[in-house]
Amino acid sequence: MTETAAITVPSDPRYLAVIRELTAAMAGAWGMSDAGKDDVKLAVDEACANVIKHAYRGDVSGRIVVKYFPGASFEVVIEDDGIKARPENIRGRDLDDVRPGGLGIHFIKRTFDVFKFDGRKKKGNRLRLVRHRRAEDADQGR
Amino acid sequence: MQIRVVEDNGVKVIALAGEIDMHTSPVLRKELMSLVQKKVTPLFVDFNEVSYIDSSGIATFVEGLKGMKSYGGTLKLVDIPERIMDIFSFAKLDKVFEIRGTLHDAHNG
Repeated sequence: MTETAAITVPSDPRYLAVIRELTAAMAGAWGMSDAGKDDVKLAVDEACANVIKHAYRGDVSGRIVVKYFPGASFEVVIEDDGIKARPENIRGRDLDDVRPGGLGIHFIKRTFDVFKFDGRKKKGNRLRLVRHRRAEDADQGR
Repeated sequence: MQIRVVEDNGVKVIALAGEIDMHTSPVLRKELMSLVQKKVTPLFVDFNEVSYIDSSGIATFVEGLKGMKSYGGTLKLVDIPERIMDIFSFAKLDKVFEIRGTLHDAHNG
């Protein structure tokens, strides 16, 4: 599978806006509904914010690579060279337990049907996110 | 993100515009928490021109609300665009925050 777009940015929160722009543009070109496009933009933003926060622990000198594979499904791969994530420890807060934090993972998982770390990457993380075509996406721009 | 603190009929209003994300939410947090430290109440936040919010922005408001509750303060979120309201609803925060359609509504209860 060949990506049709990829972006590499520093692990600095100021570049999240750039990732959001490209993500929305790629989702739109794939034919995603406007609501889906907003959801995907937020979910990819949250995943990249997690890379900055957890993989790089706020160090802005790292790099984040985001690759887009718009095929039968809309797939996004996010790579970093930071600290390995422990998928078994990744969970959001109970939505009824109102406190700051713990929402990002919920936004990612409500948007993407597949949320999976590729354990074969030796250094850092490779997160694969896949959103299958939904009824509201059908025939848009295809 | 642009942030202005104005007064509307004697009530402090934080008027926001643009995108609230991990990059911009620390600025918002600083402004909001400085008002909380002064025990300002009521406090309205006008979302009319907000185009985007992520979990860091939402966390900022949850923190502000908790701070205000400690002194019996009232925080009202006003004129939230539909797509952003959807995020608050998904996070079950539409039941936690006092949300009003307009500043006029916020003044009236």
